[in-house]
Amino acid sequence: MSITLRVILIISSFIAFFLCVKKIKQSKLKVANSVTWMLGSIILILMSIFSDVVGWLSEKLGFVSPVNFVFLIMIAFLLIQTFIDNIHITELNEKIKELDHYIALKEHDEKK
Amino acid sequence: MKVLIIIPAYNEAQNIEKTVKDVTENTNYDYIIINDCSKDNTKEVCEKNNFNMLSLPINYGLTSGIQLGMKYAYKNNYDIAIQFDGDGQHQAKYLKKLVEKIENNSADIIIGSRFVEKKKPFSTRMIGSRLIAFIIKLTTGKTIKDPTSGMRAYNKRAIQEFIRNMSLTPEPDTLVYMMKKGLKIEEVQVEMKDREFGESYLKPLKSIQYMINMIFSIIFIRAITRKNK
Repeated sequence: MSITLRVILIISSFIAFFLCVKKIKQSKLKVANSVTWMLGSIILILMSIFSDVVGWLSEKLGFVSPVNFVFLIMIAFLLIQTFIDNIHITELNEKIKELDHYIALKEHDEKK
Repeated sequence: MKVLIIIPAYNEAQNIEKTVKDVTENTNYDYIIINDCSKDNTKEVCEKNNFNMLSLPINYGLTSGIQLGMKYAYKNNYDIAIQFDGDGQHQAKYLKKLVEKIENNSADIIIGSRFVEKKKPFSTRMIGSRLIAFIIKLTTGKTIKDPTSGMRAYNKRAIQEFIRNMSLTPEPDTLVYMMKKGLKIEEVQVEMKDREFGESYLKPLKSIQYMINMIFSIIFIRAITRKNK
């Protein structure tokens, strides 16, 4: 990995990490939901500090360049995150639907 | 037996009066209109006529409407729930045939089918119907001649399945689910009219999406349903 990439990764990971902490303090983010983000940024920082390990591992796994390996991990992380979000959206959808039904039934009962 | 007719209605102000008149004149069953947050004055029309109506504050589509109808049927202890379109396509005079079949205990779900005695025409819409019928045959081994028909009668057991599993839709994939659960499905011949006013739920792009959803749902989800112990 080049020095520039390592510096960019470290800086952006730190920004992501502190953004998470700030949003939790403002209670705009739940701890349970932000753990994956914080974990992701910690992994990214570790990867940019110990770039030798990443280089060795990516060579063993047959990657052309260590950068590709880093990108693959990031993409995998993003996919997992969107999948989790998708589940949350569906859950919320079901909850709103239940409320929708509840209101309709209640209104009907009150009319009688 | 206590029978409830569930009439889902979305922007059906022009049709709903006629539909309810048809139901009350030709049958003596209870009915409930599910107003799915219509943008036109469906709600006002129903209130003016003092129709029995559940009015949803948020639009959630046909599936949610039928689910709410099932909840209402379950809560008020109905023995049979019938899904009946509010757009004037279905005719209430055929409902008796569906109810009689369930009362004779011949099946758990009765479909008001257009093609029991008559042949299926080769129109673009019917290609979809054939494809779904073929996949149902493939996954369950049973022949359903009109799987996309929106006129269906469910007995108590089927209503309970709807309450138990809130992911069930009022569509053909649910038929596969019910068959896998061991419920019996039969069809009776009915006739349907073309709709007079307003727009249908199914538009060209929507119907392609609908077909893809149905095929995936039947093959990958409903076909591997397990029986209750």
